[in-house]
Amino acid sequence: MTEKTAIRDALGALKTQSVAAHREVEQALPDILPHGDAVTLAWLNACRALFDFDREAGRAFIRGSSEAERVSETVLPWTEQALHFTRWRGSWRALEGFMANLPRAFGSLGHAGERRWAEIGFQWCSRQIDSGSAYFSTPVIDLSGRQGISGIEQLSMPAEELFESRKLMLATYLGGAIRVRNLLGPQAILPWALRGADILQAGRARGEAYFRLESEESLALLLEHLPGFRLVDRSRLLAMLLDVWFGGTFELKESNWSPEKGRPFVETDGRTLYFPAVMGSRDEAILAVLHGAAHMRYGTFDRGAMRRMFEIAKIEFPTSGTVSWAPLFMRYGEDALRFQLIFDLCEDLRVDFRVHHEVPNYLPRLVATAQAARVHRTESAPYFDLALASVEGALRVARSEGTADARLMPLLEPHATVADAYRIATGIYNENYLPRVLDVEAFHAAYLPGRGPNTTRLAHPQEQQDEQQQQQAGAEQQNQPQEEGEEESEAPQNAESGDQQDSGKREEVAGYGESSGSAAQAAAKSENERGARGSSDKGVPYPEWDYRESRYKRNWSWVQEKRLSESNLAETSRLMKQYSNALKRLKKAIQSQKPTRMAPQLRQFDGDDMDLNAVVSYVAEKRAGRSPKADIYKRREMRQREVAVTLLADMSTSIMQHLPEGGGRLVDRVRAGVLLFAESMEEVGDSYSIAGFCSKYRDNVSYYTIKDFEEPLSQEIRSTIGGMSGRLATRMGAAIRHATANFEGIESRRRLLLILSDGRPEDYDDGGDRRYLHEDTRMAVKEAVAKGVHPFCITVDTMANQYLPQIFGQGHYLVLDHINSLPNKLPEIYFRLRR
Amino acid sequence: MKTAAVNRLRGVERDIVQAPQAGDVAPYYEPQSNEVAIFEAAYKKRLPVMLKGPTGCGKTRFLEHMAFQLNRPLVTVSCHEDLTSSDLVGRFLLEGSETVWQDGPLTRAVKAGAICYLDEIVEARTDSTVVIHSLTDHRRRLTIEKKGQEIEAHEDFMLVISYNPGYQTVLKDLKPSTKQRFIAINFDFPGEEIERRIVLNEAAGISPEIVHQLVAAGRKARMLKDHGLEEATSTRALVYAANMMNAGLDPIAACQVAMVNPITDDAELADALMEIIQAHFSV
Repeated sequence: MTEKTAIRDALGALKTQSVAAHREVEQALPDILPHGDAVTLAWLNACRALFDFDREAGRAFIRGSSEAERVSETVLPWTEQALHFTRWRGSWRALEGFMANLPRAFGSLGHAGERRWAEIGFQWCSRQIDSGSAYFSTPVIDLSGRQGISGIEQLSMPAEELFESRKLMLATYLGGAIRVRNLLGPQAILPWALRGADILQAGRARGEAYFRLESEESLALLLEHLPGFRLVDRSRLLAMLLDVWFGGTFELKESNWSPEKGRPFVETDGRTLYFPAVMGSRDEAILAVLHGAAHMRYGTFDRGAMRRMFEIAKIEFPTSGTVSWAPLFMRYGEDALRFQLIFDLCEDLRVDFRVHHEVPNYLPRLVATAQAARVHRTESAPYFDLALASVEGALRVARSEGTADARLMPLLEPHATVADAYRIATGIYNENYLPRVLDVEAFHAAYLPGRGPNTTRLAHPQEQQDEQQQQQAGAEQQNQPQEEGEEESEAPQNAESGDQQDSGKREEVAGYGESSGSAAQAAAKSENERGARGSSDKGVPYPEWDYRESRYKRNWSWVQEKRLSESNLAETSRLMKQYSNALKRLKKAIQSQKPTRMAPQLRQFDGDDMDLNAVVSYVAEKRAGRSPKADIYKRREMRQREVAVTLLADMSTSIMQHLPEGGGRLVDRVRAGVLLFAESMEEVGDSYSIAGFCSKYRDNVSYYTIKDFEEPLSQEIRSTIGGMSGRLATRMGAAIRHATANFEGIESRRRLLLILSDGRPEDYDDGGDRRYLHEDTRMAVKEAVAKGVHPFCITVDTMANQYLPQIFGQGHYLVLDHINSLPNKLPEIYFRLRR
Repeated sequence: MKTAAVNRLRGVERDIVQAPQAGDVAPYYEPQSNEVAIFEAAYKKRLPVMLKGPTGCGKTRFLEHMAFQLNRPLVTVSCHEDLTSSDLVGRFLLEGSETVWQDGPLTRAVKAGAICYLDEIVEARTDSTVVIHSLTDHRRRLTIEKKGQEIEAHEDFMLVISYNPGYQTVLKDLKPSTKQRFIAINFDFPGEEIERRIVLNEAAGISPEIVHQLVAAGRKARMLKDHGLEEATSTRALVYAANMMNAGLDPIAACQVAMVNPITDDAELADALMEIIQAHFSV
């Protein structure tokens, strides 16, 4: 039989099987025929075989054949490959994917590459057909990551291992692996996959979530390994730069950015600066942080200017509270992204020009970084170029070397506001020459390095005085409305320790704060009630200073000394392990400079007494005719201990707060700091005691002795430290007085009272008058000094410069701007003080 | 302007009490406010003076300048924590088979009517600070306990101490009764204009534009003091940086070795300081 006849027969048979299939074959036939009758016959037989095997498979084969032939210019290779699928049941989906990908496979990998690609896929089908389907369904470009066939092999190898050892399905693994490879590079796949395999063993669901990059763990791992500049680890550097260039403290918080969300940006809502965990480069990160701060400082969120902007847009502006930017852009419907880009371009130019006057070299650095960057989307390039040109123009103007784009010049005036940016942006938008921007990736790509979308968050407009407050770190903030707002939001946070009274704190204060007269009356009443009882069950009484009347109130505060009942050995062990390196270092440092000389030094050139032995030798040698050295003194033994120190930790409720940058609560750092301090003190040998305090009203100041001077550091005491927790308020003056009293009878040359604090002295009954307890604490400090005890305050409250200098005096306190450094710094500070 | 006389012999010992000689040039000093007038007035009445301020802001240079202007010899004692009263007042030494008394620098100054400068007095041991009590009130008397004698100070004698109020003085602070005996002049880093003049003078040959950047960078760097630096960037450090630039080093490297490396080991702080310097010196 000739081949032509065979072909006719085959076609006829096919038509009987399925008219639709036959029709599709007829459509594809013209592309196959030119390859010759033998080839055509083979192809037709394959169509029939596949159709017999599975109707869907057959039709997929037929449909994809034309394209496959066109790209590869062959028929037999892929036809033979397609027939492989008949080996496995349920493989039609895999075959579908195979056929769909064929053109790209040939196109991007070449013939040899396509063979290898198919080979790998068939191996997967053999292992498990669903994995095979996943493999073939994934676009070849994604598999290869533009690395050709080696990219595919890189991706497949770890999966093969994991399948053998842990039965991990390729479908579970593939999507995540591709993203990991794209974000972190191929070398990151295996560690990521191994980690995932371990988690998979621990729990199927957890493991699968990890591989799909849905779990916190996998995201955290990704963020940990992302290349680039890690802002999350360098936040202290960024805070310092902001302090130096802009003055004042900025609230810096890590945003919830993750790589899936696209390009990382620094954002602000007028109140807080949010930074992503990682950015591409150091330059970009620093430019971004400075740029964000500039928005906050130079009026992007100024209430008056925002109101004017809304007026221009003829939209109602809310009279108070947060403001949404959305109404300004909604009128542009689908074109909103385009308008946003233009508006941001204008407003960014305005603030960047202002920054340049404060930070030398800011604009040149921005220009240089932008020129080195690549824009990934064609429609973004005109915006990027326009923005870059505008910055170059601004630089020319700043250097008086020329002018900038006439439309944008008004933004370089000193009194330009965000409303002007809006107005000018509208004008540029109406010129209608910039391309449309429709998707988020193009939108993101249009921003210069360091810049980003300005209007993604609800705005907190600032009053004029807000900006001044930001600048004057030391301003007294007594009677300003912002203050009360701040405090109200503080209360819910502080209620964590479960103290019900806490949330009632502010209400009580509001009722109390009329005049000292009424406070005194109420106080007198309660004193009469209690006067009858002795001091024993009430604790020890101390006077309290009332600055309004310039006199002491006798027996006003009552301190009860107690033992801490809490104890948490597990926590202590965990902390000891976490800080074991730091502890080792500390111990080594201490050992290398053992401070106290216990034995008298003999044969000294100078000293307090004669060293009799040395004198005798001297005279004898002289008689013998030699010229001995005149080292005949001895220095007296220092029997007295150098320093005795009490570490007094604030245990009020605020230490239970979670740290804004994550990583636990403040109390964890406090516990660690106290532990390290105790361990170092054991090493040094100085006499020390540890105590904590908190208060609830003047007659309930609790003083928890964790370790007394004479006590050795036992495991029990260590566990108690691990169990330290915060509750109630901070009546610091009374605690200082009590600690000072406890120094009585301690023999030492110097006495140091180290106070570990996280905020102001305050208590529920201070009548809302902050100054009251501040002044009392100040007097307590003075009393301590008069008794020979030196107080020194270490605080983690970054606002402490507003009140600590008045209470402790300059040079008698230290603000730790980085809470995580507390455990390491506490012992260090002590050593510096005692030197 | 030269800062030292050409005809002084170098590398040869000389007595600690040296009166200014003919041909000497005044040590260079830029007044910040009225400190010169205050010191002159204090000297007129021979009242003891305390110079307060951070390291490297000009206290010692100021005193050298004033001593020269007033034509008095200056005896300087750098105090440290092992400095005893014997180091100041004197001690018995064994020479041959005899004990010989040797006057300490303070005693020499008291006898010769010189200005005695106790630098960083807070570091010294407390028994040495007690010695100056009787010298600094109306008695103007120095007691030499070991000899059982006392000296009424020469009428031109004057005592000056320096004091750097950082937090390391919390435990070692001077007693209030000691501090009260002094007239105190507060020193701080000079204003921008003056600081520029100082650097221009001390590092002759450097261009005014670079001095402008240098002083601006130094002032910004000072703002980081509260973030963990023990001492802020001093004027002296700026002068060193300028001199290094004169010697051929590029500006950023010169600033790094003079203004960053010496004052901190903290990598983050060093990073922040370098950012400030690079911002001022990148063209």
